Amino acid sequence: MDHGTRRPQNEPILYVCGECGADNELKPKEPIRCTNCGYRIMYKKRTKRMVQFEAR
Amino acid sequence: MASASAQPPAKGKGSSSLEFDTVAREDLFYGGKKASDPINTVEDKWKLVPAFLKLRGLVKQHIDSFNYFIETDIKKIVQANNEVRSDIDPSFFVKFLNIWVEPPVVTDHQTNTTHTTTPQECRLRDVTYAGEIFVDLRYTRGRETVTAQRVSIGRMPIMLRSSKCVLSGKGPAEIVKLGECPLDPGGYFVLRGVEKVILIQEQLSKNRIIVELDPKNQSVTASVTSATTERRTKTSLAFTKNGRLVVKHNIFATADIPLAVIMKAMGFVSDKEIAAMVCGDDESYLELMLPTLEEAHLLDIHTQQRALEWLSERIKLRAAYQPGTRRAKQPVDDARDLLATNVLSHIPLEAENGMPNFKRKGMYLAQMAKRVLSAVKDGGNVDDRDFLGNKRLELAGQLLSLLFEDCFKSFITHLQIELDKQMQKASRAATLDAFHYVKQQSRYITEPLFRSISSGNWKIRRFRVDRAGITQVLSRLSFISGLGMLTRINSQFEKTRKVSGPRALQTSQWGMVCPSDTPEGEGCGLIKNLALMTHITTDIEDEPVRNLCYALGVEDVNVLSGQELNDPEAHTVYLNGELLGTHSNAADFVAAMRKLRRSGRVGMFVSIYIHDSQRTVNISSDGGRVCRPLIVVDRGRPRVTDDDVRQLVEGIKGFDDFVTEGKIEFLDVNEEGDANIAMWENEVVYKGMMAKDRMPGSKRRSRSGAQASATTQVLPNSTHLEIAPFTILGAVAGLIPYPHHNQSPRNTYQSAMGKQAMGVIGFNQFQRIDTLLYFLCYTHQPMVKSKTIELIGYDKIPAGQNATVCVMSYSGYDIEDALVINKSSLDRGFGRCQVNRKFATMVKTYPNGTYDRLGDALRDKDGKVSFRYGVIGEDGIAEVGERVNKDQIVINKQSPEESLGEEAGASGTVVKYKPSPLSYKYPGDGVIDKVLLAYNEEDQLLVKVNVRQTRRPELGDKFSSRHGQKGVCGIIVNQEDMPFSDRGICPDIIMNPHGFPSRMTVGKMIELLAGKAGVLVGKLQYGTAFGGSKVEDMSRILIEHGYNYSGKDYVTSGITGEPLEAYIFSGPVYYQKLKHMVMDKMHARARGPRATLTRQPTEGRSRDGGLRVGEMERDCLIGHGASSLLMERLLLSSDIFDIYVCQACGLIGYHGYCPYCKRRKEVSKIQIPYACKLLFQELFSMNCVPRLRLADV
Repeated sequence: MDHGTRRPQNEPILYVCGECGADNELKPKEPIRCTNCGYRIMYKKRTKRMVQFEAR
Repeated sequence: MASASAQPPAKGKGSSSLEFDTVAREDLFYGGKKASDPINTVEDKWKLVPAFLKLRGLVKQHIDSFNYFIETDIKKIVQANNEVRSDIDPSFFVKFLNIWVEPPVVTDHQTNTTHTTTPQECRLRDVTYAGEIFVDLRYTRGRETVTAQRVSIGRMPIMLRSSKCVLSGKGPAEIVKLGECPLDPGGYFVLRGVEKVILIQEQLSKNRIIVELDPKNQSVTASVTSATTERRTKTSLAFTKNGRLVVKHNIFATADIPLAVIMKAMGFVSDKEIAAMVCGDDESYLELMLPTLEEAHLLDIHTQQRALEWLSERIKLRAAYQPGTRRAKQPVDDARDLLATNVLSHIPLEAENGMPNFKRKGMYLAQMAKRVLSAVKDGGNVDDRDFLGNKRLELAGQLLSLLFEDCFKSFITHLQIELDKQMQKASRAATLDAFHYVKQQSRYITEPLFRSISSGNWKIRRFRVDRAGITQVLSRLSFISGLGMLTRINSQFEKTRKVSGPRALQTSQWGMVCPSDTPEGEGCGLIKNLALMTHITTDIEDEPVRNLCYALGVEDVNVLSGQELNDPEAHTVYLNGELLGTHSNAADFVAAMRKLRRSGRVGMFVSIYIHDSQRTVNISSDGGRVCRPLIVVDRGRPRVTDDDVRQLVEGIKGFDDFVTEGKIEFLDVNEEGDANIAMWENEVVYKGMMAKDRMPGSKRRSRSGAQASATTQVLPNSTHLEIAPFTILGAVAGLIPYPHHNQSPRNTYQSAMGKQAMGVIGFNQFQRIDTLLYFLCYTHQPMVKSKTIELIGYDKIPAGQNATVCVMSYSGYDIEDALVINKSSLDRGFGRCQVNRKFATMVKTYPNGTYDRLGDALRDKDGKVSFRYGVIGEDGIAEVGERVNKDQIVINKQSPEESLGEEAGASGTVVKYKPSPLSYKYPGDGVIDKVLLAYNEEDQLLVKVNVRQTRRPELGDKFSSRHGQKGVCGIIVNQEDMPFSDRGICPDIIMNPHGFPSRMTVGKMIELLAGKAGVLVGKLQYGTAFGGSKVEDMSRILIEHGYNYSGKDYVTSGITGEPLEAYIFSGPVYYQKLKHMVMDKMHARARGPRATLTRQPTEGRSRDGGLRVGEMERDCLIGHGASSLLMERLLLSSDIFDIYVCQACGLIGYHGYCPYCKRRKEVSKIQIPYACKLLFQELFSMNCVPRLRLADV
């Protein structure tokens, strides 16, 4: 059952601080705290995959 | 009316309304009027309403009440229980010197620091918005006495916008900076990220005599619920069928105790004395009293001692046992003590030579008896329980203070137990420092407070109160639904009772409670809403008022005899239900008190009124009374003048200045009964100072005068003037344009529906991540608005769109209120909405060292990602912006298989994980809108994913205008097929005219007319209740612009191209899209999941359940004789099951073998419902044997 291994360590995933907007790199098991302002809420950045919308 | 020359600055295309609106509401506050505009008092006195709301806010009742608790009441509670002593060491003590609550903070567990927080942070992180409670201590350590300052004893949830909230005293711009909506009224709490409202609770007022007719045995009863901080008791006095007065109280084992015995036990021994106290010199009363007095003689009770002895035999054992008392008491002393403490416990008791002085209590009891007798004499003329003046509203502050006192007491007991335990320890290394133990007990305060508010269960041990449903989750369906919740009044009455009294609209609710806003069905009339300007009082110190009363000539009961008390010329004076004494000139006394109140010498919420038939003066300073502001009228002149209103608009004066100047005063329901209130300024009556008017307290309307015809009735001089009539409606009913033209139930329906309309929730709506949130995409402010709309800010965060409506028949898809909608309008964004859903999970660390983890997408051999993992990013969470379909995983969480028990990983074993993903399970695709990561209060990682859906209206979606006229979308028609006018105007909605005749919503027609006129002149029109733009003016505008005055247009059919044979009534009407959408309800199934136990199809849409052929449907099929269909529905398509039955014994066996008969013969296969098989097996287990007899068909 041990599928879905940890993500390959290629490029880091960046998260945006909810307070100052600085980019933060989060590693698993690491506290969420903005390196810039110390805020503790992070948002994930928008995907780099292509997204197609249908306008209706 | 002055012209609205001062329009808000014209905004260019695309400029955000946020830019100017958040900082300044002023532009719309006074309807765009400036100080230079001429002011007409009659028209403009309503401007006091925005001033009032600006000062008090929309939910100031909640906030005031909480502020009072957090700043005053909490200190009083601690003052009353401020010492902890020890049984072990008599010299030891801990004393609480001061208590206060600080603004909310959150603790960072990793750095162990605290920082101030904002409500929005708490919502996002699922944290409680609570401040720390601090005390100053003085206590003994060893032999010295030390003080400790700022010791935390727990945490207190903080109400938003209260004085301790970070939002208090901040301007709109600062509030926006904190991530909050400036229009959000506050008044609720945030517990673990959930917004909770403590609903207003309605109760019968405490400490007041209420005379009622007992429906069971037709006896007149006066009862008082005494409430002090220590105890709550109920004393009642009844006039029995055999003509005696008896006292009923919990402490007595037998139900009825003769009044005379109680009086004698209190020390009023002589019959003459008792009779004088009750009846005075009135012989008609005396006649009714006789049997009562006789009773004591029949029982042979003549002395106080004998009476107390007699009582002591009838006292409940539980009541007599007092845990605090050590020495064994004489039963007589017991009886005396209980009489002193438990009977009428709200009446203060002076001690005299160590003996309680019962004078006040006896006098009070005598007055109760007098009230009963007068009701008996009057043929059962009793008090009205449903009168609003007999009610008190309990708010968050009062409820929390009850709870906190209980918590604090248990905190003190636990502290004492802990300290005793420590002191008993023989080997104590260091001297005992109470400081540490005080800190340790904080959970006895924090936990019950948090638990009660988040669960809504109010458990107060000392009053044996256990109430559920006190708090509710704040509805964020729309701004209005949230606001409506904060003004809601919950009644304690049972909903099942079939009495109409409490449900009916009471005349005393005028101006205090909204007459329209109540739910239909079981809560009808029991759940109410506050009117716009209602204020609810908080407790006011009564000591200064008491002193003032004595100074103004009230004669103390202690020095009065029975005759003097019942002097027909004098009035008895009550302060908060306590008998103070008598006054010989009540009218002057009341006038003096009112004068002092208007000049600010007495609290402005102290009320005083004369009750004529009871001959009492009642002064109230207690909390929970409903009151409202009115303009004071002096000799026919309103004290508020043109000049005052001008100064108000100029900002020189505020609403509170008017109150301190005595120009406006707050009247509660009782005092309102004493006032003569004119509705409009031209209705103010003044006919000079007449003799009777020298007593402003009493109307002195004689009974014959009330019967006189209206023409001959002389109107008394006006004492007050209404500020604005539209304030009798609440915030929700205030949205209805022209409500005074509608049939009243329609306004009630709209009040319910306004809360279901989708719209803007707040300026911070896109920052919120709630379980479910609806937004309307392109909202309009209504063309026809009302003053209430501007006051609550509905024009800034609206919930609807102005649709061009044609009232005509079209296509036949518009029957039964269905609407025809223009397809092109939908393309342009009409009724488009967003649905945001939250998917949240915690990535936990377990006590055994294992932890959850987020895994990335599962790949097959070719390295391709399967459909379920399609939107997952490398971090195991869905990618923002990705489209997500049903059954796709949003958060790919994996949990350890073993999260309990032994320390993992230490012995080198590999931790095994099982998948526990969160998947998107709703029909219809969505877009990942936001992914949030944060740590919550327990220091666990919290992942929230917000999924957005954009929906355009479809067939069956529900819409409604603001007049209780709901309808579903019946057909969507291409614009080319829609009718159009000669100016090319094509409707967005076609509404069937059959909606009008029976509903009688004339307001909707006027709204259309006013809206059309407004469009033509480029101005918004008003539909304020009892005012608003006049139909005549609207028609004139229409004519001026070349339209028909009645709003009818010449229209060409889009299908035939020919003109329609009738003129069509058309124009803009504000339409709301309601939350009920087909997409969330549509459901069908052929085959699907089954329940495990019965193997029948599951129930409900969420489980993809089947559609049940219920008993009525079954009856139908039986009636038709459709046996095959029945067989199919109930067996074949449901839970068909093969069993093998032994024909010899009739029991269930196996294929070809009966274990009971142990034979292979005669076992046959039959088909029965699985539920039937289950029933047989259940019967077997209960030792019943159902046997099956098989026969050939």
